[in-house]
Amino acid sequence: MRSTDSTPLFLCTLILVGVVAACGGCSRSDRYPSRPITIICPWGAGGGTDRVSRQMAAHLEVELGVPVSVVNAIGGKGVTGHNRCAQARPDGYTLGMITLELNMMHWSGLTELTYDDYIPLMSVNEDYAALLVGKEAPWTTLNELQRYVSEHPGELRASGTAIGGAWHLALAGWLTSSGLDVDAVNWIGSTGAGPSLQDLMSGGIDLVCCSLPEARTLYEAGEVRALGVMAPERAKGFDAVPTFAEQGVDWSLGGWRGLAVPRGTPPHVVQRLLAAIEKVVSGESRISAGFEIVDGERVPNYQTFPEFMDSQRFNNRFRRQPEFLAFLAETDEKFGELLTSDAMTSVNTEKFSPLAFPGMISVLLAVSLAGIAVNGRFGQGGEERITGDPVGLTGYLRFALVPAAILTYVLLAESVGFLIVTTAITLGMLLALRTRLWLSVVVAIVLVPSIYQVFAHALRVPLPQGWWGW
Amino acid sequence: MEAILSAVAEVFQPAVLLIIVAAAVYGIVVGSIPGLTATMAVALVVPFTFFLSDVEAIALIVTTVTCSIFAGDIPAALVRIPGTPASAAYADDAYALTRQRRYQSALGASLVFSVLGGLFGTVTLACFAPQLARFATEFTSYEYFWLYVVGLSSAAVVADQSRLKGAFALGLGLLLSTIGLGTDFSSPRLTFGFDELVTGIDFIPAMIGLFGISEVLRNVLRLDEGAPSATPAAHPEHGSLRSILQLARTRKGHLLRSSVIGSFVGMLPGAGADIAAWIAYAVSKRFSREPAAYGKGSLEGIGDAAGANNAALGSAWIPALVFGIPGDSVTAIAIGVLLMKNITPGPAIFSTSSGQAVLVFSIFVTFVVANLVLLPIGWGAIRAGAQLIRIPRRILLPIIVVFCIVGSYSLNASYFDVAVMLVMGVLGFVLERFQIPLGPVVLGIILGGPLEHRFIQCISASMAPRSFLPSPIAAVLFVIVVAMWFGPLAAWLVKRSRKPPTP
Repeated sequence: MRSTDSTPLFLCTLILVGVVAACGGCSRSDRYPSRPITIICPWGAGGGTDRVSRQMAAHLEVELGVPVSVVNAIGGKGVTGHNRCAQARPDGYTLGMITLELNMMHWSGLTELTYDDYIPLMSVNEDYAALLVGKEAPWTTLNELQRYVSEHPGELRASGTAIGGAWHLALAGWLTSSGLDVDAVNWIGSTGAGPSLQDLMSGGIDLVCCSLPEARTLYEAGEVRALGVMAPERAKGFDAVPTFAEQGVDWSLGGWRGLAVPRGTPPHVVQRLLAAIEKVVSGESRISAGFEIVDGERVPNYQTFPEFMDSQRFNNRFRRQPEFLAFLAETDEKFGELLTSDAMTSVNTEKFSPLAFPGMISVLLAVSLAGIAVNGRFGQGGEERITGDPVGLTGYLRFALVPAAILTYVLLAESVGFLIVTTAITLGMLLALRTRLWLSVVVAIVLVPSIYQVFAHALRVPLPQGWWGW
Repeated sequence: MEAILSAVAEVFQPAVLLIIVAAAVYGIVVGSIPGLTATMAVALVVPFTFFLSDVEAIALIVTTVTCSIFAGDIPAALVRIPGTPASAAYADDAYALTRQRRYQSALGASLVFSVLGGLFGTVTLACFAPQLARFATEFTSYEYFWLYVVGLSSAAVVADQSRLKGAFALGLGLLLSTIGLGTDFSSPRLTFGFDELVTGIDFIPAMIGLFGISEVLRNVLRLDEGAPSATPAAHPEHGSLRSILQLARTRKGHLLRSSVIGSFVGMLPGAGADIAAWIAYAVSKRFSREPAAYGKGSLEGIGDAAGANNAALGSAWIPALVFGIPGDSVTAIAIGVLLMKNITPGPAIFSTSSGQAVLVFSIFVTFVVANLVLLPIGWGAIRAGAQLIRIPRRILLPIIVVFCIVGSYSLNASYFDVAVMLVMGVLGFVLERFQIPLGPVVLGIILGGPLEHRFIQCISASMAPRSFLPSPIAAVLFVIVVAMWFGPLAAWLVKRSRKPPTP
């Protein structure tokens, strides 16, 4: 209790600051939208889906007049992010960028989730899969490659994404529709197009299947060649790349991205969102994208969403609500046929047990534990150096307090709200550690609203908003 | 040359310099909050780049990255929560120094060596990027596999007590990393029925829990006893900036060594600053005159690892600029912005004929300016952070807990991450009771996924053990691993065989 050297005036100021901070930005009204909106992106920061999501967020922010931020809920091959959106409160404050994997993952048993769990709003982009080889590869056309594969089944190694991912499916579709076996080319799982292209250049693999924008730099530098694109027509900006159909293979697959809200979102909210998105994709909404210097003056350079997509070589493909829904149903069925076919399921069974590596690690753990035990018995190291008296009962009680506080947050924050729960646990902990009451109150009142302001407003973290929108 | 001069002129505009200073302050604030990463700091400023000119946007991004990575060291020293996994390599040293009332020396060394390492990384990026990028393509799955093993082994063998405990900690981290859905498998494993575990365990909540919450738990247990481990009252210390610059001068060679390690490892996509810092720390300890101080507050260890950490930052841009293959998520975001700002990555990016030379050189110039600006602003942040040490523990500990909660929640807006943090905190507490180091656990969680992925890639190509060493690079890395683990044993055997047998 030595901490009483602060002046009362200083404390009063702090309390005032705290109260003002708590009141600012915490209102809630019936008009939609009245508070920040979050877009859940199921893929990592810096990737294509992330860039499209962030650009869309910047445009929607202008159109809707509230902050729109992007949260990357990644992992589980897209399951995590898709799930997060579908399970969010259907109030229009959580949107999701859904991608083609949504129609794949339930077929491979990763989740129960289907497109039926959402209200799809609009698809904003579709980039078709392409087949790429290194610059020194002997094949110049798709047909030459197909001939080689049929003569040397099981020799070539391809990558582009994880096993069972979208580009793996694209490759499998190409093989089956050109009369080859699905396992005529070995798929090596990877973490994405970037690492796969790196492997292609180092000679670790022979083929990469990914979208053209993903391989743009290396393609334009002549480091890789594209044998074909699995699209109905040639891709904008990649006019030299022939389609598969031109080379006699009837197969196309595009990776699409679209906006959706959880099922159960009220119709007036959906209408408001659709109107805003329509303005974005029609090019009516413009945001500044840098400056041009004209006569020493800065003239802002405005850019529309379709212009941004063009500049990034992302293919603008807008499907509005009924068309999007029909498209989702159609591709879901198509993928279902392919993914549940005998050939594909046999490819998907792993050569190595998923538990092989954990098993090896467990052996390492067991060996090191045995070693530590032996060392300990011979009294070399491993001796506990914990000194001091035994911990008293109050010590253990305080010890239990920390997990209790964290669990309180985990269990209650979503329903009660960030400000109330966090203030309560801060006060509780302070008092339990025998800080004076007035000081505890001051700390809690200053700390929690400041954190709320910094995280929720400045850093745009969607902190839980419970009963009263706090 | 002309291009360089006009790049300098572009960067030294008042508006650009203002943005650099603002971004430096912003980067340091965000980076020093536990749980908020450099990736997040950069992602948050992306919308602002839409409104900026090309050079201004580059300045904003580059400065934010540089400063937020350094700032990860501040919470490591203050409350033992490393802001970045690279800081985890020397978190124990920095925190130990803080408890010895040498907080300012600890962070001062980290700052000065970070700046110098960062400058070295920039020079590497500017001078050797095309050649190094070409060399990086020599790395196939095998070389990556061995590189990960070297990085992981570095973390384990620097363990203070025994290698076995280091190995145990490492194994624990690797095992935790296998939870969930691996890259090479289509079904999740070890999830014990928790749907949330399909994603696996994220290293950020794990790191906050292992280091931060475990330290809080340790402290509340004996709050009343006033143990010497208490956060001390402020004390005039001798950690002036001048004495640290003096230290840097005497350690020129060591700094060069760590910077080379940092630049080299940093340029490999998927390796990066984390591995660089650990390897540099292990090398530093191995060749140090006082290896016993490492882990208990070694300024040398902090300096060398921090230098490598920031040197890796610049060279991480090499594969991104030359081949459009970003090495980590921070560079991926940065490259996304560059694409929008009329820079097209490619092997010809550095030739003056590509028409974008001025913009590309302005990246280098900004890196240099950002590192120079980091020095005074970082020092100010360190002085400001020193005020936190004055807060009594009974008030500080609850505040730390709240920040741990919000930090681990913010990453993914996920309650499960908060729960993971708690479990890891208890685990960290238990491990420390048995004197098992925590650093290898964190690195194991981070590198376990890539290690397993490369391992599966290698073993699906061929099962024969000999195929694991297809190239000289792989062989060299393998020899380093063997030397690291069995070096002391071999030295001991040699010593014994020379000694005449006692009757």
